[in-house]
Amino acid sequence: MSFLLNCPNCGERSVNEFRFGGEVVSRPSPDAGPDEWSSYFFMRPNLAGIQREWWNHRYGCRRWFYALRDTSSNAVQETFWPGQRPPATAG
Amino acid sequence: MEKRSNPRLEARPGEQIDRSQVVEFEFEGRAVPAFQGDTIASALYAGGQRVFSRSFKYHRPRGLLCCSGNCPNCLVTVDDEPNVRSCVRQVDTGMKVESQNAWPSLRFDVFSFLDRMHWLMPVGFYYKALHRPKALWLLARQLIRRVGGLGSIDVDADHDQHYSSRNSHADVVVVGGGPAGMAAAQAAAAEGASVVLIDDQPTLGGHLRYNGQTIPDPVDGESRTAAEVVYSMAEAVSRATNVEVLHGSTAFGLYQDRLVAVLSSTGVVRIRAGQVVLATGVQETPLLFENNDLPGVMLSSAARRLMALYAIRPGSRAVIATETVEGYQVALDLLDANVEVAAVVDSSDDSPGEPAAALRERGVAILNGHQVVRAVGRGRVKAAVVAPVEGAGSGSAQRIRCDLLCMSGSAQPVDALLHQMGSSQGGVSLAGQVSGANGVSEIVDHGNEAGRSAASTSTAASGSYARGEEGLATAIRLPAGGGERTYVCYCEDVSAHDVEQAIDEGFADVQTLKRYTTVTMGPCQGKMCGRTLASMCAARNGSSAGTGDSYTTFRPPYQPVTLAALAGRERMPFKRTSVDRVHRVLGARMVESGPWLRPHSYGSPADECVAVRERVGIIDVGTLGKLEVLGSDAGQLLDRLYTHRFSDLPIGRIRYGLMTSDNGVIMDDGTVARLGTERYFVTTTSGNADVIEEWFNWWNAGAANCAHVVNVTAAYGAVNVAGPRARETLAKLTDIDLSPRAFRYMRSAQGQVAGVPCLLLRIGFVGEAGWEVHFPAEYGEHVWHAIMDAGSEFDIAPFGLEAQRILRLEKGHVIVGQDTDAISTPMDVGSDWAVRFDKPDFIGRGGLAVAAERGLQQRLVGFVMPGTSFPEDGTPVLSGARPVGRVTSARLSPTLGRGFGLAYVPPYLAVEGEAIQVLVADRPVSARVTLDPVYDPEGLRLRS
Repeated sequence: MSFLLNCPNCGERSVNEFRFGGEVVSRPSPDAGPDEWSSYFFMRPNLAGIQREWWNHRYGCRRWFYALRDTSSNAVQETFWPGQRPPATAG
Repeated sequence: MEKRSNPRLEARPGEQIDRSQVVEFEFEGRAVPAFQGDTIASALYAGGQRVFSRSFKYHRPRGLLCCSGNCPNCLVTVDDEPNVRSCVRQVDTGMKVESQNAWPSLRFDVFSFLDRMHWLMPVGFYYKALHRPKALWLLARQLIRRVGGLGSIDVDADHDQHYSSRNSHADVVVVGGGPAGMAAAQAAAAEGASVVLIDDQPTLGGHLRYNGQTIPDPVDGESRTAAEVVYSMAEAVSRATNVEVLHGSTAFGLYQDRLVAVLSSTGVVRIRAGQVVLATGVQETPLLFENNDLPGVMLSSAARRLMALYAIRPGSRAVIATETVEGYQVALDLLDANVEVAAVVDSSDDSPGEPAAALRERGVAILNGHQVVRAVGRGRVKAAVVAPVEGAGSGSAQRIRCDLLCMSGSAQPVDALLHQMGSSQGGVSLAGQVSGANGVSEIVDHGNEAGRSAASTSTAASGSYARGEEGLATAIRLPAGGGERTYVCYCEDVSAHDVEQAIDEGFADVQTLKRYTTVTMGPCQGKMCGRTLASMCAARNGSSAGTGDSYTTFRPPYQPVTLAALAGRERMPFKRTSVDRVHRVLGARMVESGPWLRPHSYGSPADECVAVRERVGIIDVGTLGKLEVLGSDAGQLLDRLYTHRFSDLPIGRIRYGLMTSDNGVIMDDGTVARLGTERYFVTTTSGNADVIEEWFNWWNAGAANCAHVVNVTAAYGAVNVAGPRARETLAKLTDIDLSPRAFRYMRSAQGQVAGVPCLLLRIGFVGEAGWEVHFPAEYGEHVWHAIMDAGSEFDIAPFGLEAQRILRLEKGHVIVGQDTDAISTPMDVGSDWAVRFDKPDFIGRGGLAVAAERGLQQRLVGFVMPGTSFPEDGTPVLSGARPVGRVTSARLSPTLGRGFGLAYVPPYLAVEGEAIQVLVADRPVSARVTLDPVYDPEGLRLRS
């Protein structure tokens, strides 16, 4: 793995500077049942394609952000702060 | 010792050797004279050596073939290092060089009988034969494994070769230091780009370095010797600012987003390039004829290298088999080096005009429409058998005596790096011969243009390049005869006949053909054989071989890279606290603890325990992770991340914090002190600070709240002063009222200690009255010495990690990671009290609810041994001779005088006084379960 990742704060850096945080998943509400919790803990779509995922610029600004990455080519389409919609898909 | 001679041609411009510096090394026990700048192979060749190795399978004698580090023929062992390519490794005084794959010697190799057994070992024979009866294969496998393989590693050798790796950036990386690469580097630098030029030779120049002819100087068009042109071009590169040249370095991998992996003499360099220009040139394809591996048969470029770079006369009478103009040029070079040229055998019917005329003028016979069908000789070439291309074998063959047979096969682009990239080739361009340019002027023009456009293009630019595959199938002249000793693959001894047979057996796809025959899988990794294999496969399939599937997949590394270079040097720096120097003056034994180096002990851990229990001890806890959580929502954030509640924590109070992952597994523990309405001071376990900071920020990311996490681990140093005399010790240094009433257990205060502003936390990890003193890190030694002075009248003693582990174990305090693992929940370790299910939500709530529903599976309990023995950490707990749990920590308690520890047991055994068995020296010994701490179970001393 040698691709570049565009930290929204620091710019384009080698992926080695980042910690991968996995797919973005939504957390069940506190009163959800065990099945829902179990699937949140253990089940992932594991997409072959563009996936929204967490990254942390561990050896840089240490901030967390989202990336839209194609898991089959490692091509990163967009990176953006959580809470923001991806610029390309906004609107 | 027999000394070898060292004859050379008269001095020539551009030669690599320094004749004033004589170097001597050893080859197979004999001294070999050489000049500085010689390679091992050139020095040996000058001294008459023609056989350099024995081949992999049949132990056929092999000589220099490529002379450029691409083929497997000259692999030797140098000192302790196996598989060194002797044609590129420069000589050094005192080097001890040994041949490989031959016993007892290169000249007489016992295993050479295998060459006569080749009919017994066709390609893939081990898939078919020797499998029945079953036991035969076990025997055969052992034998094959012993005989197979190249070189051997001396595991006892004391390797003094050390590699280190580094990372680098450049706007433009140019691979290849020939005329195109030099031009591209200069042009890019002239546009203001930072440039790294990677060249695998000791000096720049590429193929011009060994061109003995005059060429038009690209600068002014005047005719000059190639050596002169190279000299002036290399000079210009060295004068250019912004160009870093990596000599003797090979770009062995090109990875996604233009990461260029380079092997230099000091180790691996990883260069991230804005643009990559591949000026990697071309190389000759070996020709296919019988015995094309005889010593004395070599690529034309190899002969030219020997002459131009090392001033060696490669033979006395040469035959040249050619498909290109290169063959005519090498003939001219050979004549100039006083080598008789018996014939130029050109497979085409037309000769290139100018060089052919020059050769005819000098009396050289040119045989158009002919090809070499066989090389003749035992151990070295004695003659070439030449026949017309049309109607070969019709009796018109002639035998031409020679001791050198040069092969000028068609040129193939050296474009492996491009193809390693797969489809993501953005930002990579080709320059020079590799992309089809011909003649120095065109090559240089090409390089200039590639360099200029690389420097002015943004990184997103992409180029797509089709491999020049047109006519691939016809470019390789397939052998006329049976091809049993016509070698396609020199590395693994695979003949054209073997390849044909494999195709007949159904391995008609190039990928399966490769795997079945092992062609392209040897040390050359397809450099000599890849194109031939692809052509043969395409020809048999009747395809045009122009499609992308005609080649096997290109993967890094392009050149062999030693594992030592990839491993590089361990570059993991240790963290040291601000009190570190004191520990060393005290002679502490330091141990690794996460990223930190910490004192294990200062002598006797048992004595240190006694000092804390009876007097006062001091330990450096600057390694604790320290986070400040600030803002109006700081309390809410902590409530969310810890199982306990902190928003209601009064200012000046401390509460134990237990943190779980969302599925309820313990991640970390520590203390949370509220210093102000919107300010909390959080400690984490040593070494976990960065991860916990990330965890905090992760859950806080994107939340529209006012909570900020600041990692102050490095800003604060800390010591823990504990023991019955701790209060008296610290009282001497501060105005803060430390009396039991004023400063109670789990309270904090800020004030001066020894004149330094400090934060005092009264906590009790080791089970005595004590204070964690946090101070600005730069005052570490001052605070330490002040406390040591103040405590001297009470005989204060520093204690290390080991004593702390014993002391906390006596209190039953858990160390996360030691006493917990990837499935431990707070309930398992008896910390239910720290989990507040009355909070609407916290990280771990869902998981803990699921775990609670499932019921307790294991429980961490204390145990006490009958005597002083104790089990090792991690050993099993037995009940009724069955393993039912495991010990997480066990030590000898100085307080009890007995062994004791913590262990996971099933809930039914988690009963006070229950008997369990643990293993001591592999024998079961009874122990007694205890649910209370073995020391001060009521916590009276802790709170005193």
